[in-house]
Amino acid sequence: MLLTSAAYFTFLAAVFFAYWLAARYRLGALAVVLFANYFFYARWDLAYLAIIPLASTCDFFIGQALHASTKPGLRRLLVALSIMLNIGLIASVKYLPVLPWVLPLALSFYGFQSLTYTIDIYRRDAKPAESYLAYLASASFFPTTVAGPITRLSTLWPQWSKREMLSAENGGKALFLIGLGLVKKLLIADFLAESLVNRVFDLPKLYSGAEVLAGAYGYALQLYYDFSGYTDIALGSALLLGITLPPNFNRPYAALNISDFWRRWHMSFSHWLRDYLYFSLPGLRSRWKVFAYVNLVITMMLGGLWHGAGWTFLVWGAWHGVGLAMHRGWQTLRGKRTPSPAPAARLARGLLTFHFVLIGWIFFRAANLDTARDILYQITSGTISFANITPAFMLVAIFAAAAHFVPKSWYDGGLRLYCQSPYYAQAAAIAAVIVAIRYAGGASAAPFIYSRF
Amino acid sequence: MLPPIWPRKASLAILTCGALVLLLEATKLARPFTPAEALDFRPRYMPALEPPTPIPVFTSPSAASRRPILEPNLIDPHDNLRTFYLALWRTEVGAPGAITRVLHYGDSPVTADSITADVRSLLQQHFGDAGHGFVLIAKPWAWYGHRGVDVQGKGWHIAAATQTRARDGFHGLGGVSFEGDTGASSRLILGEDHAKIEIQYLRQPGGGVLTVEAAGQTLGAVESDGPAKEPGFQTFPLPAGARTIQLSVERGPVRLFGVSFERNTPGVIYNSLGLNGGQVQVVVRYFDKPQWAEELEHEHPDLVVINYGTNESIYAEYIERSYPGELRQVIERVKAAVPGASVLIMSPMDRGQRDANSRISTVPTLPRLVEIQRQTALEMNCAFFNTFQAMGGEGTMARWYDSQPRLVSADFTHPLPAGARKVGVLLDQALESGYRQFKAREQRRTHQ
Repeated sequence: MLLTSAAYFTFLAAVFFAYWLAARYRLGALAVVLFANYFFYARWDLAYLAIIPLASTCDFFIGQALHASTKPGLRRLLVALSIMLNIGLIASVKYLPVLPWVLPLALSFYGFQSLTYTIDIYRRDAKPAESYLAYLASASFFPTTVAGPITRLSTLWPQWSKREMLSAENGGKALFLIGLGLVKKLLIADFLAESLVNRVFDLPKLYSGAEVLAGAYGYALQLYYDFSGYTDIALGSALLLGITLPPNFNRPYAALNISDFWRRWHMSFSHWLRDYLYFSLPGLRSRWKVFAYVNLVITMMLGGLWHGAGWTFLVWGAWHGVGLAMHRGWQTLRGKRTPSPAPAARLARGLLTFHFVLIGWIFFRAANLDTARDILYQITSGTISFANITPAFMLVAIFAAAAHFVPKSWYDGGLRLYCQSPYYAQAAAIAAVIVAIRYAGGASAAPFIYSRF
Repeated sequence: MLPPIWPRKASLAILTCGALVLLLEATKLARPFTPAEALDFRPRYMPALEPPTPIPVFTSPSAASRRPILEPNLIDPHDNLRTFYLALWRTEVGAPGAITRVLHYGDSPVTADSITADVRSLLQQHFGDAGHGFVLIAKPWAWYGHRGVDVQGKGWHIAAATQTRARDGFHGLGGVSFEGDTGASSRLILGEDHAKIEIQYLRQPGGGVLTVEAAGQTLGAVESDGPAKEPGFQTFPLPAGARTIQLSVERGPVRLFGVSFERNTPGVIYNSLGLNGGQVQVVVRYFDKPQWAEELEHEHPDLVVINYGTNESIYAEYIERSYPGELRQVIERVKAAVPGASVLIMSPMDRGQRDANSRISTVPTLPRLVEIQRQTALEMNCAFFNTFQAMGGEGTMARWYDSQPRLVSADFTHPLPAGARKVGVLLDQALESGYRQFKAREQRRTHQ
C-alpha cells in the first residue's frame, strides 16, 4: 500500500476514526494501532504476519532480560542475539532471500528501530517497554514501516500512554504535512523523474552533456522531494493519531559543508549511524586519532552498502565517508578560526558542498559503475543541446530549487494560516491538492525511492 | 455520544475532504480516483518478473529441418529471402569462402549496436563467425558502439547524414563521413584476431595519405588522391595477434567512411549501420545515389535489412502523404544497386507515450506506419518482419517499462540491453526458422 494511494488514505481515515473512538481506553487504542500495523504489512505480503510478530516478540523478551540481568557476559550475548536477529532479518530479505518468493518491502527500517530498543537498554539509556502490546504496536508502527523516519522505540510507547486530545493545531499540522507530502512526491519528484531524470540515467550517452547535467540536478531535487514528501506523509499520518515522529530533513542543500549536510539530510538515519554504528566501532577511545577518521569512512561505507549490495552504493558511501573525514581533518587544522561569514564565501561553500553531494548522487542513482562513468563523462564532454529539456521540466526544477530555500518563517507562517483556517477550508485545500495531482501529476505514483531500501 | 477526547476539527476536515472528493467524482468535474480503487485492499505484489530471454538452441541441420517452426511475423510470400537462405546454406555446410553478408540499416538502437549485436552473435554462433564487418572510425554520437570493438578517434571532422551532413552527399556505407587533416587518427581495438581490414575511403583530387598500423607494425598506406571523387577500398592483411589498429593521416586531407574486419573462415558478417535520428527520408534526400549504390554493390550483401520507422512514427500527416513514397524510393535504390540481394523491411519496435490519463500507450500512428511498411514490402517484392507484433503489439512498451528487470528506457522508445536482446532473439528466431522451412522445402523438392 503506497502512502500516496487512495487505498492508503481510506485506510488512514478508518484508523483515525477507530483510534480516537477507542482512545479512552489505552488497551483499545493499542489494539487498533496493532491491527492497523499488521493489516498494513499484510497488504504487502502475508508472510509479514508471521515474521514481524515473531521478531518483535524475541526483541521484547531480550529487552526484558537485558534490563533484568547484571552479568556483563550474558548482556553482551543477549544484545548480540538481537543484533543478529535484526541484521539477519534485513540481510535475508534484502541480500540473501531465503524465502522462495521476493518480499516487496525491505525490513531495514523495522530492523533499525528494533535495534534502538535492545541497544538502548543494553547501554542503560532506556528502560524496557512495560507493556508487550505497546512494544508490538511501537515496533511495527505503520507510518514508519516503509522508509522511516527511524524512531527510537523508547520515544514511542510513552506517547501511547498519554490520554490527550489531538489539538486543533496538531490536527491541522497533520493534514498540512500530508498535503505537502503529496505535492512534493506527486507534483515535483515524480514529474522530474518522468520528464528527464529517468531517461538520462537509463541511457546517458543518448543525451548531451548539458542535458545529462540537468538530469543530475533533477535527480538531486527528485530524491529530496520524494523522500521528504514521504516523510511528511508519515509524520502527518502519525500526528493524526497524536504521535510525534522525529524530523528527517532540514533544507539539506542549504548545507555549507558535508558535515552540515549530514546534519540536515535523512537525519534519523545519520543519527542512527552515529549512535549505533560509529560509536560502536573499536578504536574511538584510543590515543590514535586516525581511528576517528577511518571509522567515519567505514561507517559511511556500511551505510552505503545498506542501500544495496552494489559497487555504486559502496562508492557513494566511501565518497561521503572520505568527504566527512577530510572535513573533520580540516576543522582540526583550522582550530578555532571560523569560516568567513561573507555572503560570497557562504555561497561558494554552499555550491561546493552541493556539487560534492551531486557527484555522490550520480553513483547512488546509476544502475552500475559503467553508467555512472558514462554520466560523468557526458557531463564533462562539453556537448550542449537542450532539445530534451522541456520548459515544464525547467519550470518545475526552478520552482523546486527555490522552494527548498524558502525561509523557515514563511513555512511556519503558511502552516499557522492553515491550522487556523476553519475545517472546511482545510478540507477544500486538501481536495484541491488531490484535483491538482489528478490533472498535473501522473495517473499512478512511482514507489518511494527509499521504500526499496 | 463522542468520547471526551474526540478530535472534532480534524474529523470534520477529513469527512469534508472525503465528501468533496466523492462529490467531484460524482459530478465528473474531476476524477481524483475511483471509489473501487480506494477500497481495493487486496495485497499488492511486485510486478511480474520478466523471464530471461532464452538463447535459441540450434539443433543439427537435419533435425531442425524436420521440425519447421511457423513464424507468423516474418512475411515472405514471394520467397524474397531465397538469396539469403541459400547463402546461409552454403555457409552452414562450410563451403570455402562462403560468407553470408547482411547489411542492417536502422536508427538509434542500431547506432549503439543493440539488437544487431545480439542477432550477429546468435547467427555467428550457429553458422560461423566471419568477422565484425563494418565499423565507424570514431564516434559521431556518444553512444555509437560496435560490440567487441573499442573505437577512439581524434581530429576528424565528422559529417553524419542525419546531422551536419556532407554537402556532396558522400556518406559512405554507414551514413557518416570523417574528414581529417594531418594528425587526425583513430585507434580500433579488437577483442579477437581477424584476417584482414578493409579501409573504406573517398578517392578525390588532392586527397592525402593515410597510414595503417597494426600492433605497432606498419601495414601500408592509403593514397587517396585520384582524378575524380569516387569510393575507394583498400585491404590489408592483419598479422596474427594484431588487435590494435592505428589509422593516422600522414598528409591531409583524407576522407574516410569506415573500416571492415573479416576472417577467412565461412560464417556470417552482420553489419550494423545505424544512424541516430535515421529515417527513410534521410537516405532519400542526403545519401548521394550513385555513391551509395557503389558502396552497396561493393559489399555484395545477401540480405539488406531496412529498419526505419521509429523517428517517423509521430508524424501522422507525413506518414500518410510522403512516407510510402520515400520508403519505395529507398527499396528501389537498394534493389537497383544489389539486384540479387534479399531485402527485408523490418518494422520499428513499439513506441510508448503518456496518454491523456498519464498511462503509457502506443503512439497512435505507429500501427498505421507498420501497416504501410507491410503493404509496401509486399508490393515491392520484399520480405517483412513485424517487430512491433512479434514483441507483443500495442502496449508492449508499457509492459516493458513495468517489468522487472525493466526492458525499455524511461523514454519508452529505446530498449535497455535486456529489451534489445529480446528483439535480437526474435529477429534471429524468425530468420532461422524461415531458413529451416526453406531448407526443408528445398530438400523435399530435390527428393521428388
